[in-house]
Amino acid sequence: MPEITLVEAVTQALAYEMQNDPNVVVMGEDVGKDGGVFRATQGLLDKFGSQRVLDTPLAESMIGGMAVGMAIRGLKPVAEFQFMGFIYPAMDQIINHAARIRNRTRGRLTCPVVFRAPFGAGIHAPEHHSESTEALFAHIPGLRVVIPSSPRRAYGLLLAAIRDPDPVIFLEPSRLYRFAKQEVNDDGNALPLDVCFTLRTGQDVTLVTWGAMVKETLAAADKLNDEGVSAEVIDVATIKPLDIETILASVEKTGRCIIIHEAPLTGGVGADIVALVAERALFTLKAPPVRVTGFDTIVPYARMEKYYIPSEKKIMNAVHRLMEFT
Amino acid sequence: MLNIGIKKDEKGVLEVKIIERFEVAYYQYLNEESHLTHDFPALAHDIQSLLQLYRLMVLVRTMDTKAIALQRTGKLGTYPSTRGQEAVFVGVGHAMQKNDIYVPYYRDMGTLIQRGVKLSQILLYWGGDERGNVFGNESNDFPFSVPVGSQPLHAVGAAYAMKYKKEKGAVVSMCGDGATSQGDFYEAMNVAGMWKLPVVFIICNNQWAISVPRDQQTATPTLAQKSIAAGFIGEQVDGNDIIAVQHRTVEALKSAREKGEPRLLEMVCYRQHDHTTADDASRYEPKDRREQEWKKEPVARLRHYLEQQNAWSEKQEELLRAECALEVDEAVKEYQGMPSQPLESMFDYLYAQLPKAYSEQRHMLKEMEEDLRHA
Amino acid sequence: MKIFHLPDLGEGLAEAEIREWYVKVGDVVTVDQPLVSMETAKAVVDVPSPYAGKIAQLFGKDNDIIQTNAPLVGFESDKIKQDEGSVVGKLEKSESKWDDGDVIIGQAKTKLTEVNKIMPAARVLAKEMNIDLALVVPTGPQGLITVGDVKKLLLERSSTSTAKHTETLHGVRRVMAQAMVQSSQEIVPVTIFEDADITSLPANVDLTVELLKAIVTAAKAEPALNAWFDGKTLERTLMDKINIGLAVDSKEGLFVPVIKEAEKCSHEELRKYIEDYKHAVANRSIAPSNMQGATITLSNFGMIAGRYATPIILPPTVAIIACGRTREAALCRKGKLIAGRIMPLSLTFDHRAVTGGEATRFLKEIIRYLEKE
Repeated sequence: MPEITLVEAVTQALAYEMQNDPNVVVMGEDVGKDGGVFRATQGLLDKFGSQRVLDTPLAESMIGGMAVGMAIRGLKPVAEFQFMGFIYPAMDQIINHAARIRNRTRGRLTCPVVFRAPFGAGIHAPEHHSESTEALFAHIPGLRVVIPSSPRRAYGLLLAAIRDPDPVIFLEPSRLYRFAKQEVNDDGNALPLDVCFTLRTGQDVTLVTWGAMVKETLAAADKLNDEGVSAEVIDVATIKPLDIETILASVEKTGRCIIIHEAPLTGGVGADIVALVAERALFTLKAPPVRVTGFDTIVPYARMEKYYIPSEKKIMNAVHRLMEFT
Repeated sequence: MLNIGIKKDEKGVLEVKIIERFEVAYYQYLNEESHLTHDFPALAHDIQSLLQLYRLMVLVRTMDTKAIALQRTGKLGTYPSTRGQEAVFVGVGHAMQKNDIYVPYYRDMGTLIQRGVKLSQILLYWGGDERGNVFGNESNDFPFSVPVGSQPLHAVGAAYAMKYKKEKGAVVSMCGDGATSQGDFYEAMNVAGMWKLPVVFIICNNQWAISVPRDQQTATPTLAQKSIAAGFIGEQVDGNDIIAVQHRTVEALKSAREKGEPRLLEMVCYRQHDHTTADDASRYEPKDRREQEWKKEPVARLRHYLEQQNAWSEKQEELLRAECALEVDEAVKEYQGMPSQPLESMFDYLYAQLPKAYSEQRHMLKEMEEDLRHA
Repeated sequence: MKIFHLPDLGEGLAEAEIREWYVKVGDVVTVDQPLVSMETAKAVVDVPSPYAGKIAQLFGKDNDIIQTNAPLVGFESDKIKQDEGSVVGKLEKSESKWDDGDVIIGQAKTKLTEVNKIMPAARVLAKEMNIDLALVVPTGPQGLITVGDVKKLLLERSSTSTAKHTETLHGVRRVMAQAMVQSSQEIVPVTIFEDADITSLPANVDLTVELLKAIVTAAKAEPALNAWFDGKTLERTLMDKINIGLAVDSKEGLFVPVIKEAEKCSHEELRKYIEDYKHAVANRSIAPSNMQGATITLSNFGMIAGRYATPIILPPTVAIIACGRTREAALCRKGKLIAGRIMPLSLTFDHRAVTGGEATRFLKEIIRYLEKE
């Protein structure tokens, strides 16, 4: 089985689903001839033609709204926003329409759309290209927010997202796009949505994270292991709706909880998780539940970018502080 | 408005009444062979100004080439070239007055350097440093705009403020051909036409929006005609002819400034490089197209004209190149010699005064900065 | 092979000279890794690699002059495209494999040991005051230990040290008092007394361990005594495992640590259990989990004094064996008097769940085990 990168896994999933479901249509800026600026849609135009792989004019609101219309009328659009920073013109279409149509028509009309976008910092890009504002979407009822962190999960979760009958915001961590390869069987098997993935089991502390921060968190867990601290690492994957049960079961076992995300601290999804842990697992906690996150600043330009993203060291320091509580 | 009146043909069928007709003018003064096709404007005979324009274009080209090379050797971040589009930006910058306001997108080096922005600052921006958007503290111009097509609305707001404060000036909104598909672009023009705002919308139509060619961006044969829906004049201009660029911009600014009538100018040129240094146009650009279009390129066109007027020589060319190389070198040195911002500056421009809620995080960064200094 | 041509190094000159190669054929390089140092008319510049890959060929040696746009370095091309695939920025590329390890969908199913529910404030107080939370009696909902519970234990400690006459029972003594009441209210106890003739046993035999072994044998023969009985539902559960509770006395009161799966333990393991538990009880480090799950109990009260007793059964078990003090005695064997050794045994059983026959046969098995050895 060939080993592929995360972005190639996205392509593989799209190709599989387009092969098996004639209603799947890919659309976005530069997704056809150019194969997408990160090559996520590479080869799809040649394989499926220009009726199903649309190089749209440069207009995000149009992409959002048109995808809504297509989905309501029985197609399965997978619409790309070139970067999360450019999804904002489509917010009206996503929030006021995609998220709402099932509810407003009491199920008569539904919107099985996937909005995908590369997101997150760490690729030394110009400003606006490093957003991590998944919390904005996590706040909207009616949406799903899914974030893969490995090639296999990108494949399995994207298939699940496309097959899901409701709108999914699928955010792909750009700095993991080509970082490391994995064998991904092109068998069309979707992974379940709405559930966390436990990547490492441990007894001493629960590390909850998603997206590109999974990389740093796993690295920290490995180093901690050498120090004799066993960390349980949970990849949330589906940010909304949140599988809090997996997190709570882990926290009950370890008694210590740290949430790690790249997005700014205030109003980040980590706050939601901490609230739930405090509400439901307070009496099994040995230490306060804490968050290790990006600062409450605009993501700095390339020069200072690496100081913004939470580092392995920051995660380990947080663990060390919690381990002082016995 | 042409009112043909109600007529019946021999069969007694009503003829359709045409209530509106529109025209889109095209302007070119200096053609591909460097010949003046029309005798005006005055600029065509103003050798001093033409020499100034020529020098600016050569400087821009030199800096642009250097920026690409800096990126290729790891000293600059992703950079969007302005190669082939020098006439558009230099011409527009030359046509503007000091108290006008410029709203750029991101290829606008040629305009910005005439409006107080240093070359080293442009490098600073693409080098990943926020100070690149400062532009000089006296400047009223807007900073680079990365979200495509979002800035025409800002231009319109600035124009309204100008009108409100009875300031004597106009606003130039610059964007690319891709931006004309954005809803914001239409909304901006619509309100500008409705409220008679002193704004000129200029499109640098370099015929590519990353991989999407001009003819796949919209069905209209020109972009200039999009102003019709907003109620004002749109003109198409040969963007490789700096005389036409400059002249039509001057006229448009007059119309905006003096009569509150906005105008749309479509400058047709060609993108003589990839979208950015991280793009690879060979994946989608037809082979030879770039070479074909290079025959129309603006810098050589003006030079040939100047040589024909005996206003330029090989020796002057050599001298100019050396001067530009030196100026560019100085700019690079200045850029590379600039110390990085301290890490805590991430928090220093979020609010007029940083709220207490964030002082702890700022302090964390300050400590990190000190650790870095001592390391 | 994918060829990287010498880029314009920014001097506008047509060529540059190779000063020093940093790589050689066969090296694997990453994006941006410096390949070579090139000298132009004015400067020496490092040329970074545009690709990640293996060097296949170098198009020049030190001091060679290379024209701009001429081939500089050849990379081994593989099936996977070398295309940068971006429009802004630089993606980190790595040849390393993404190691997921064993990914579990949902929760990790690990054996949950006792989850102690403790109010955070109580936890902090206990730590500061050096209180063993295992000794605190929870009174909060669902077994929650509150601050008040910890404070009570603190009070008890301080009150015993000032030697008052009356004290409200706390901790283990309190639990004992409560358990005894429960037992007497629910259980229907009947006790049988018998002696075991241990004259033939070697002098240095580990009597407690032998007793434990005897109980295991008897429990296998008569499983009715190794059971749990629920008086309310009238349900009896015969237990597969033989977890023997060992009554251990201490200053704090009676502790009954449990030897789990005694049927699987060797002599040495049993002795170790006994010693470990004695120590754990003595220094108050015994874990609550070690005091649960008994299926039958042994009380070795005879270490001090006494022959026979009517020990109290600990619900939900249905039997308890008590062993009194061994003594020298005159024994009659086949009409002859000899000086022998006697171990007095008492078996109390819950007659709601165990018949007299089952109990006597059980006791007989114990004695047979001891006397055979």
